[in-house]
Amino acid sequence: MGSIEIENFHFTYPSRNTPTLRGIDARVDPRAFILLTGPTGCGKSTLLRTLNGLIPHASGGKLSGSVRVNGASVAEQPIAVTCQQVGLLFQNPEEQLFCIIVEDEVAFGLENQGLPSHEIDCRIDSALAQVGLAGFRHRQIASLSSGQKQRVALACVCAMQPQILLLDEPTSYLDPQATHDILEIIGDLNSRLGITVIVAGHQVNEIAPLCSRVWLMDDGELVSDLPIDQAFTDLDQYSQLGVQVPELAQVARQLGYSERPLTLDHAVQLFVNSTLDSTQPQSHWDKLSNDLIRSNALSSDDGLADPTLVPTQTAPPNPNNILAEVQNLFFRYPQTSVDVLKNISFQIKGGEVVAIMGANGSGKTTLLLHLITLLRPSAGKVLINGQDTRRYKPRHLAGEVGIVFQNPDLLLQAATVSEEVAFGPKNFKLARKEVEERLEEILPIFDLETLKAEAPYALSRGQRQRTAVAASFSLYPDLLLLDEPTTGQDYYHLQQLMQMLDNTMKVENKTAIFCTHDVHLTLEYASRVLLLHHGELIFDGTPDAAFANPERLEQASLVPPLTMQLQRFQNDKTASSHENRPSRNR
Amino acid sequence: MTKLHPHTKIVLLAIVSCLVILLDSPIALFACFLVSLCLQASIPPSWRQMRLLLLFVGLGTWGLIYSQGIFYNQFPRTVIFTIIHKDVPVIGGLTGGIHLYREGLFHGAVQSLRFNTMLIISCFIIWTTQPRDLLLALVKLRVPYSLAFMVTTGLRYIPLIASEAKTVIRSQRLRGFRYLRLNLFHTVSGILNSLRPILTNNIRRATHLSEAVESRAFSPDATHRTSLRELKTQQQDVILISVLLVCLLSVIGLKSIYFLYANGLYYASWLRGAYTFAREVL
Repeated sequence: MGSIEIENFHFTYPSRNTPTLRGIDARVDPRAFILLTGPTGCGKSTLLRTLNGLIPHASGGKLSGSVRVNGASVAEQPIAVTCQQVGLLFQNPEEQLFCIIVEDEVAFGLENQGLPSHEIDCRIDSALAQVGLAGFRHRQIASLSSGQKQRVALACVCAMQPQILLLDEPTSYLDPQATHDILEIIGDLNSRLGITVIVAGHQVNEIAPLCSRVWLMDDGELVSDLPIDQAFTDLDQYSQLGVQVPELAQVARQLGYSERPLTLDHAVQLFVNSTLDSTQPQSHWDKLSNDLIRSNALSSDDGLADPTLVPTQTAPPNPNNILAEVQNLFFRYPQTSVDVLKNISFQIKGGEVVAIMGANGSGKTTLLLHLITLLRPSAGKVLINGQDTRRYKPRHLAGEVGIVFQNPDLLLQAATVSEEVAFGPKNFKLARKEVEERLEEILPIFDLETLKAEAPYALSRGQRQRTAVAASFSLYPDLLLLDEPTTGQDYYHLQQLMQMLDNTMKVENKTAIFCTHDVHLTLEYASRVLLLHHGELIFDGTPDAAFANPERLEQASLVPPLTMQLQRFQNDKTASSHENRPSRNR
Repeated sequence: MTKLHPHTKIVLLAIVSCLVILLDSPIALFACFLVSLCLQASIPPSWRQMRLLLLFVGLGTWGLIYSQGIFYNQFPRTVIFTIIHKDVPVIGGLTGGIHLYREGLFHGAVQSLRFNTMLIISCFIIWTTQPRDLLLALVKLRVPYSLAFMVTTGLRYIPLIASEAKTVIRSQRLRGFRYLRLNLFHTVSGILNSLRPILTNNIRRATHLSEAVESRAFSPDATHRTSLRELKTQQQDVILISVLLVCLLSVIGLKSIYFLYANGLYYASWLRGAYTFAREVL
């Protein structure tokens, strides 16, 4: 069965002077399920690629120490042999699938292994059944949702029957429901088939309940390797590194418990049924859970975040200033027969921060692209500042609307960060002095001062995203659109970006619209939520109202925060105890 | 025709390419062009494909006719229009005058028939063949596996790259950039800058793709590689290839006979019909 031994392993990429992995010592027992977490750029992906043999065989670079899989040195055996024992699933399903039909994609690895066609045939069916895609064998990959695509990618790995499964942020592009489905499958592969699993990721809340151990990395070192029941005893260690901690464990710490629950059942057993309803006043519990739901606990307790960056109070939107208006919008992509957006209508007022939420493929990005004329309505209207966008070209909106795509690289075209930020103002022929003033103002806001001479495409993903936001913001647009700003970001960098943006937008009384699956982010920063389901707008209102209805959330493939679920449980329990209490008048 | 074996389609392209190079007569070349159009119509192509094909055919025809009309250097040639007279200072003196030649336009039209025939058949192959089948066919034709894999995978990403390029251009416009200005340096530098995110993104995608492929036991030599399915040759493939080969060999034979006759190397009176056919039709 799949075991791994890592001894004093160091690795330096060919183009770098400093090592990316430093002195890693660890052992993975067969059937283990390990959560590998740490801040962005700490070396998680590099470590996974080492275990799979991509490092050093495909990357080159300097290494010392040893990595052994089932007793054989990964550096010495060919990658084609290692990858038959160790499967690796990547972050973005779009970047690892290259065939047209599902069957061909799953067969690719098996054909490379030289298996006979009847064996390949059987394994395709079995792998697709394992990931819940039986019957999808002859489907076109382009017709699948992101969650289904990631399941196809998982089937490709499973078909090769590896003993060890490595997953590099496998759910960061998926909605909460698809995330739940993928993790359930992975948990099942581990428990039922005994496959050893290592998952690298930031979504600690979702992954931790499945794990037997947690590895915490920082700056290329493995700083903690503990079994799950001890892993979250010291939460400060995680907070100091800006890594998300399980929210229920956070609640337990705040309430003074030594146990760290990871599941709702455990938390209910620990809090609700024991101490809470007897010793803690209800108001204390409500305040605590509200704080945690909005994630303020971490940023205020650990001193990580700059106190000046704590979210400000939302300025009331100006009801007379209608910035954008969508009227009965329908949209259908060319050569398709399904409407992606169906009869959408809403208004956006100046000063609002709006979150658009919904499952993968529900039409969030399509709706966003209509607001910057990258797409035109099939029917209905989109008005920006009262003008119909069908008569607009993108350049007519320059300075009024800015966008940051899910992939920030599509925006970055200049040789340096400062040129990137100055690009917009220069196009508007602002005086050199004025451009320099804007640079002096904007670069520090987005923490880019020290990087201003760097090439944008050589920066880390988080830095590239900040550069893209700063570049869009440099024209001081009335409306700033962000498509999935959470993708691939760790908790600290995400908070940093959103807080900077939030403060700046509010100071300037600008409007922001962002697409996201992150419920915490919405609760913390949005003043309004639009919920989409299969292209229809099923809710338009405040975040608290949006998350108060479990059926609606389920329809939009969203899951309320665990603390909110716990709070509801507590409220229900309190209400029922009041109902059952005998009346004094009787 | 769309169900033809990928081998047959590749052989079809190879034979038709040889034919359009061997043939000189506009009638024969036009006939080849019509055959390629009929082949394309048998798919039938979508509106988007038709628009794309019309764009390529239009640009290719215009470019060839126009360039040959101006730069035709064979004699005799007849000037039908003078663009720049030789007496115009500097340019006129340097170029000896720029003219449009009737024979050049005709030669350009003939060349465009050759080019368009090959283009249409290439599009027919790409639009009617699954990349997996094309890959298998190329490997069977002894194209190195890694090269065949790169070609077929590259084809798959062309629409994605085109869509990304569109997004990059529009996002630059949203930041106030205008591509078309009188300042040529500004326009060229803008276009080059727009290429940067497209290239960077593609290099990243290629890196991720190569990792995904290597993680699934990919090997460039593919000596032990098997295949889920085998492509089978059918009767229609055999018939088509036979007909095409007969056509090619006939053209080669007739052209050779005519070449011997025209250069005074061999003449037979009973071949006069063949000489006439080769001169008039081929």
